[in-house]
Amino acid sequence: MLELRDVVKHYLVGDTERVRAVDGISLCVAPGELIALYGPSGSGKTTLLLLVAALLAPDSGAVLIDGQDLSQLNERRAARLRLHELGFVRQALHLMDSANVLDNAALKLLGTDLSVGAAHRRVTPILEQLGLGARLEHRAEQLSMGERQRVLIARALSTEPKLVLADEPTSSLDSARAHEVLELLGGICHERGTALLMVTHDPRAAAHADRVHSLRDGKLFEYAPTERSTALSSY
Amino acid sequence: MRLSNVVRLYRIRLRSRLVQEAFALAGIAIGVALLFASQVAASSLSGSVRQITGGIVGPMRLQLAARAPQGFSESLLGEVERLPGVSAALPVLELRVDLLGPAGGRTVDLLGADPRFAYLAGPLVRSFSTAQLAGLQALALPTPIARAIGVAPYEHVKLQIGSSAPSAAVGATIGAQDVGPLVDSPIALGPLRYVQLLSGMRGRVTNIFVRVRAGEDRQATSALARLAAARSLNLRPADFEATLFDQAAGPTNQSTLLFSAISALVGFLFAFNALLLTVAQRRGMVEDLRLDGYTSRMILEILLFDALALGLLASLVGLGFGELLSARLFNAKPGYLSLGFPVGTQRIVTWQSVALALLGGVLAATIGVFAPLRREMFAARAGAGAGAPLPARLRVLATIVLGVACLGVTTAILIAAPRDAIVGIVSLMVALLALLPVVVAGVVALLTRMRRFSSTVATHLAAIELRSRANRARALAVSATGAVAVFGSVAIQGAHANLQQGLDRLVRQLNASAQLLVIPPGEDNLLATTPFHPLKLAALRGVPGVHAVEPLRGSLLDYGNRRVWVIGAPAGQRAPVPPSQLLGGQLRTADTRLRAGGWAVISQALADEHHLRVGQSFLLPSPTPQRFRVAALITNLGWPPGAIILGAGDYARAWGSEDPSAYYVTLTPGVALTRVRAGLERVLGSRSGLVVESSRQRELRQRSASRQGLARLTEISWLVLIAAVLAMAAAMGSMIWQRRPQLADLKVDGFTRRQLWHALLLESAVLVGTGCTLGAAFGIFGQVLLSHALAVVTGFPVVFSTDASTALLSFLAVTAVAVAIVALPGHLAARARPAISLLE
Repeated sequence: MLELRDVVKHYLVGDTERVRAVDGISLCVAPGELIALYGPSGSGKTTLLLLVAALLAPDSGAVLIDGQDLSQLNERRAARLRLHELGFVRQALHLMDSANVLDNAALKLLGTDLSVGAAHRRVTPILEQLGLGARLEHRAEQLSMGERQRVLIARALSTEPKLVLADEPTSSLDSARAHEVLELLGGICHERGTALLMVTHDPRAAAHADRVHSLRDGKLFEYAPTERSTALSSY
Repeated sequence: MRLSNVVRLYRIRLRSRLVQEAFALAGIAIGVALLFASQVAASSLSGSVRQITGGIVGPMRLQLAARAPQGFSESLLGEVERLPGVSAALPVLELRVDLLGPAGGRTVDLLGADPRFAYLAGPLVRSFSTAQLAGLQALALPTPIARAIGVAPYEHVKLQIGSSAPSAAVGATIGAQDVGPLVDSPIALGPLRYVQLLSGMRGRVTNIFVRVRAGEDRQATSALARLAAARSLNLRPADFEATLFDQAAGPTNQSTLLFSAISALVGFLFAFNALLLTVAQRRGMVEDLRLDGYTSRMILEILLFDALALGLLASLVGLGFGELLSARLFNAKPGYLSLGFPVGTQRIVTWQSVALALLGGVLAATIGVFAPLRREMFAARAGAGAGAPLPARLRVLATIVLGVACLGVTTAILIAAPRDAIVGIVSLMVALLALLPVVVAGVVALLTRMRRFSSTVATHLAAIELRSRANRARALAVSATGAVAVFGSVAIQGAHANLQQGLDRLVRQLNASAQLLVIPPGEDNLLATTPFHPLKLAALRGVPGVHAVEPLRGSLLDYGNRRVWVIGAPAGQRAPVPPSQLLGGQLRTADTRLRAGGWAVISQALADEHHLRVGQSFLLPSPTPQRFRVAALITNLGWPPGAIILGAGDYARAWGSEDPSAYYVTLTPGVALTRVRAGLERVLGSRSGLVVESSRQRELRQRSASRQGLARLTEISWLVLIAAVLAMAAAMGSMIWQRRPQLADLKVDGFTRRQLWHALLLESAVLVGTGCTLGAAFGIFGQVLLSHALAVVTGFPVVFSTDASTALLSFLAVTAVAVAIVALPGHLAARARPAISLLE
């Protein structure tokens, strides 16, 4: 469903220095598969996500979703892809504090042809599934960090995407909450056949994935299932 | 996107930035209000005179008008009626008089009309029946005027006509039910014979209005023109009064518009700065929406809705506030224009004024919302080939070049085209805002260097905050608000002060030639333009302590499209041309030539209109037309349409009359003014109808009139200062409130409340101090530019001063408010509980 073919992305730092944020990465993700991209800060994880979200264009190589090369999409079609085919789970701070849970979760659906009422009806079961059924009318500022993160998951899943991209989804959560959130996210993705590509520097988060790839200096290394737990605990 | 979804998104986001949105709304609303109020004031002034003129002349097409207040013989009426193409001719005697009742006085146009006016003229005069006009020995007054002076029908009112003060009966009052909005017109109506009797002008009229038969226009016009030329009368359209007034009110309206436009710009910049305070939120929103798959078009729709909602709401609030302003503050009619025109108190709101204000508000909001987000809006995908932003150094260089180029443009406009002052002010504001970040960066760099020599925590914290990229937009917004606030206040208040000083100096010089004046009383005689029968000068000269008595002659004369003020200067006057008013030619030569005769000193604007230079000759269209040569060029002497100074002898020849309009009395040195004054009053007696006025009293009256004329500009300049202070308070308050989480964060790290407060004070002092200082410097430049523009555009006497006291006052007011805000709410914010940081 997602395929990266020898993708390269460089950044210019200062006037002359070039940094290879993504350096010839190839990767395939099947429907319903949970992939963790694991690595320290500055390893190129977020750049890779932005490439997959068609928010950055690669310098070379190709990013394909369902066989379609994203570099061929114009801005409008790339946005359509993000709206309907992709979901983006960011860190828990990205909520509108004065808006309630329903409005925050339905934000993405407001960009579609659905009415406000229909959008609310669409996200309500997802929110209930995520354990927020009793908090629908609460403002975001009244929620705990774990609850906020779940609202963002509901928003990402609201358009029933084929692929969910998660950027450090547990960075602001304690380990119990992180585990709870990832269990829920993983469970729903498996249940719906939605692929999940998660970037994280938290080994406990990476442990929830079907496959774990390590990113170092822009290069990707896959851990074999047998070496995963040893490798992750070494960080 | 569905509109309902856009509205929902707007509502959701509005809750989190309600305060900042309210500040932006206030800024735009102030601009809209000022624009709207000044537009309404201008259209009301011109519209009221047009309504009054239309209400009198009705379907009449042409008029023959006298060139002097003495009018012409009504026997001319028969000749006019017999001319080819003339279907009707109606005589009118029109005089500017003071009505004095038990409750006060009012200057009005007294119209003596022929009975036929009742069915031939406009609605104002039609309210009189033929019988009333023919038979009554009484006047009709509009109800508001009758009420203001305290008279009712069948009571008597005193009239001050030149030096005579007859009493007249009030026969009827005219209400709004009779004439609609014309009821606010400053007029008094009476039968022609009765008005002739009251004014002592038997057999005289000032105008003959003419109705022309259809299809015979050309014949009638040429016949009337021949008659007018033969009798030294003016032939002009029946409603020409309105044209003359438009010209006279032009400078007032232009200066008001200039000030309003600049105030609107200042208001818009306040709004823009308020919007900058939320730019981080908006950027975050755009990025979030983009991640969620919103297209640029959808984001455009969302932001456009933001702008429309803000712009429309701000415009509506602005229109409401503007309505209040125009009704309560800008409603004062410029008193000095009432000296020459029947200016009513009607308020006329045109659809153009409303549309312009609405459009301005929406445009300001659109620019304010979109300008800071243009990069986020159009950065669709950052690819390798996408245009990389300029390196930081180049960006700074480009900004400096832009700022300096704009300063160059303003300087060029100041030197070569001060009429385009609005462009110059916009360019100056761009320069200010372009150079401000560079100057702020310089001051911050200096503070950072000073850190080495300072061991205080506050200096370190302030330097770190000021250098933080995340706070840059907000910090610059605060600094820019201070800069624009001081700039606007200094430029407008300074230019206003220069104009006021110029008028005060003029008044002083005009009254310096004589210690006492013998003159007809009345508010409408401020320019000494009401003639009276000459007195026996020997009696006045015989009063002990009188050194000399000389006649001053003067009147208002229609010259082209202007009603100019003509002064016949006494032969012995020490300085007939006020030295500070000279714009072209030599003062001494001009004085000598005026005394020699055959020369005239004229206003620059008049000379420009008739393409005259010093030394050239022109024909003055006086009652007895005379040719004069231009001795020198002067300002408009405070009378917007312009002024002409002649020698008293030349004036008498040109008007065919020796009637003075005042006597200048100079005293023997060392004599008490009060004694001479009492002596003169004894000689005049109570029946002369004249009063003795000291030059000091006259100066005070003229100063008061000029201040009233500048009332709108005064109000605008104060409004700008108040808006500046409020904007500063809002910006500082908002900045401090937004900083609470950061302050709480620092508390977690162990910093004390005192340290945080001091850091906040230092940071604010750097931002506000830099902004206000730069704003004051640019404001002084703006003051010079605006003063030149006022002098050139309006012809008013302006002092070109760069007096720093106004700048200092504005600087102090704005910074004091900023410091007060930091000192009090800042102190409270510094008490933020560390828990806030942990919660968020």
